[in-house]
Amino acid sequence: MEGGARTHTFMLPGKLRTCLSITCQILPFFPCSARLQGSLGLWKMYGEGFKQKVSFLIPECGLLPEVLKSTIADIGDYYLVRSLPIHELVAHEFIDAFVKKGSCYALTYKTKIDQDNTAALLPNGKLILSVDKDTYEELGLQGRPSRYSGKKVMRYSAEGSTLMSYFSKHQIQALRPKITFSTLRDLQCPVLQSNDLQGKPEESCSTEELFEWLGAVLNQVSLDNKSSSFLSTYCCPEPNTVVEKAFLCTITGFIIPEKIIQLLEQLCCYFGEPKLAYWLTLTVHGFADSPVSWRESEHGFHKGGENLYNFVIFRNLDYWLQMAVGAHDDCPP
Amino acid sequence: MAAAAFERRVLRRAAEHHYLRVRLELPDGGARPNAAQFKQLVVTALRELHGEVGAALPVDVLTYEEKSLSAILRVISSGLVKLWSALTLLGFYQNRRCAFRVLQVKPYISVSTCVIWQQ
Repeated sequence: MEGGARTHTFMLPGKLRTCLSITCQILPFFPCSARLQGSLGLWKMYGEGFKQKVSFLIPECGLLPEVLKSTIADIGDYYLVRSLPIHELVAHEFIDAFVKKGSCYALTYKTKIDQDNTAALLPNGKLILSVDKDTYEELGLQGRPSRYSGKKVMRYSAEGSTLMSYFSKHQIQALRPKITFSTLRDLQCPVLQSNDLQGKPEESCSTEELFEWLGAVLNQVSLDNKSSSFLSTYCCPEPNTVVEKAFLCTITGFIIPEKIIQLLEQLCCYFGEPKLAYWLTLTVHGFADSPVSWRESEHGFHKGGENLYNFVIFRNLDYWLQMAVGAHDDCPP
Repeated sequence: MAAAAFERRVLRRAAEHHYLRVRLELPDGGARPNAAQFKQLVVTALRELHGEVGAALPVDVLTYEEKSLSAILRVISSGLVKLWSALTLLGFYQNRRCAFRVLQVKPYISVSTCVIWQQ
């Protein structure tokens, strides 16, 4: 690709070595529940894209469960490469060394999807470029107008051929995802019935109430306000129970879907033995400024850049999958 | 084995509340408001633009960090435009110049700031 040399900083998750090619199309045998196995096949489609934060919450649990220790320990590094010209991404050596082995992701760093030129590399080798009008004309690539650029088309999406490069010549920095654990005491948790999405008064809470409550817990929002309180009247939805302790783990970094699938499988295995908890949750946040959300659907920021999904897994291995997108996104399939 | 039951619900623009992540800028570096003063400032902003009816709009300050002057506010969805416009047009706090920056607006609470680079 001639001309249009723009420097961008890229980051790459995972170790820069031959991966095990656990892509979303190849699901390892899942020993804990045949019932979930079929359902997870459906979720394989959604488990793609760029994820910046994963949290899981386990009520009635005070420490990191044994089944999860190895997965958490092996989350893997990601890499920050500075001042990398995009034209260097076209290199056969890199395609042979990394792209063909699978599970290679890259995303431009600190670029705003609605203002800056943004690029993303998917594990199938596609390079997605979201560029402004001037850059698009300079690049001379074939693309299409962005669906979310307003009445006057100012942004274009283009897909380049498979491309990768080595980055040793550039300033490359390995970063480890940040993992935090906390034990929440005396936490009010909504009562849920797995087969009742809408909830029943005085029997169970609805999916929307659970979703709102979970967001409050993950953001350390106080749950025991009174209706007469000046600052906030938010409180846990009814009916609820108070659990003595709940384990919350948060992983922040550039996390690949394969790791998330592993985490999900291990969380399902948590209920392989009798447990006090009725359910647990796994929440995955995508990047607000990613050019793609579900699969290769175009993503826009609009007012918030919403791009997340949440699993609620019940003791009987029923599950709820909640997916949230913004106004500048396709509805997930 | 019985076939698994499957139910799908799609909710569009059905959120009862909206959540705003905001930050107050006070460039003079003076004393920072505490949580109650911050809430009072939000109410004042609503009163200045929308009158007493606007000031009666229930707004919850879910979180407030005095150090960074950032907060998550919750408002009923029908009041979002009133609140957002009031915050945008507020210019003074106790005769000190100030400005509200509305960083994100979402129909649900979620973490928004990307901190993965701050290592």
